[in-house]
Amino acid sequence: MSSEIEVRTPAGALATENIVDRTARFERDAMQYTNQLYAAAMRYTKNPHDAQDLVQDTYAKAFTSFHQFEPGTNLKAWLYRILTTTFINTYRKDQRRPLISDGEVEDWQLAASASHTSDQGKSAEDEVLENLPDGDVKRALHEIPEEFRLAVFYADVEGYSYKEIAEILGIPAGTVMSRLHRGRKLLRTLLADYAKDRGFGGSDGM
Amino acid sequence: MECNEVLLALVLFIDNEIEDVNEVETFESHLAQCPQCLHEMEHERAVLNRMKNLLSAECCEPAPEELHERITKQTALLASQMFSPTQIITEYRRTETTINGETLIEIETTHEIRRDFPLS
Repeated sequence: MSSEIEVRTPAGALATENIVDRTARFERDAMQYTNQLYAAAMRYTKNPHDAQDLVQDTYAKAFTSFHQFEPGTNLKAWLYRILTTTFINTYRKDQRRPLISDGEVEDWQLAASASHTSDQGKSAEDEVLENLPDGDVKRALHEIPEEFRLAVFYADVEGYSYKEIAEILGIPAGTVMSRLHRGRKLLRTLLADYAKDRGFGGSDGM
Repeated sequence: MECNEVLLALVLFIDNEIEDVNEVETFESHLAQCPQCLHEMEHERAVLNRMKNLLSAECCEPAPEELHERITKQTALLASQMFSPTQIITEYRRTETTINGETLIEIETTHEIRRDFPLS
């Protein structure tokens, strides 16, 4: 009769991501977007000081909720979403206002034209765009209402689809469409106005 | 498809936001046979592209160096606040008992989680 008892205790394995690893992953993956987030923040706040604070707060929120980010999905869009909610919660808390009236989804087509524009109108617009001094486009973008400005920024600078913008801004895709088209229309009208002040660009205001 | 329908949805076409493939085809066949709408579309697309280029060139302020530093410091600070030395100690116990040539193997696993308080 033989009897053998063997007891082994290997060292414990750590299965979950610890804070050191998470920090390293955050620094590697998220912090590369600081410049782009700052440029976006400038569209929200319109001044460098607030834009810096907004980006810093965004990174604080992003870091503390980084475990909720699903790897493989769009990290930059996730950061833009946090930027948006941070802006709304922090910088706009005291000045809540009804942004756009009801019906904005339906009336986006008002910004479109149902008839062909004249060749004269087209060349006047080309002239305006060819002769824009530096800074005019940014100035015009900052003059249009925030909700239009952000839709234009995400579509025409960042190249996001309506659906992606809807997720970033937390609004329906139909609303994105409305704001984007009206924003672009406003921009073009403003640029034509600037040009007119300088004495060129025709008179029909595009 | 009528000209006015095409013109109203022109921007959706240019933005590649018409999801229905059939609708895109209808759109394209109208453009192929209507020089005025085609001209309108090309003009709109050119203006939009020009606007995109101008906007992209002017809306790309780099973050000040100071901001990069602030974020790096903040992340380190948050990490240290969130750091609580969590240890998961896994213990395996393998027991082999052989009685009269028959071997009985038992494997027991225990996990012990050790963490400091307070938790944040």
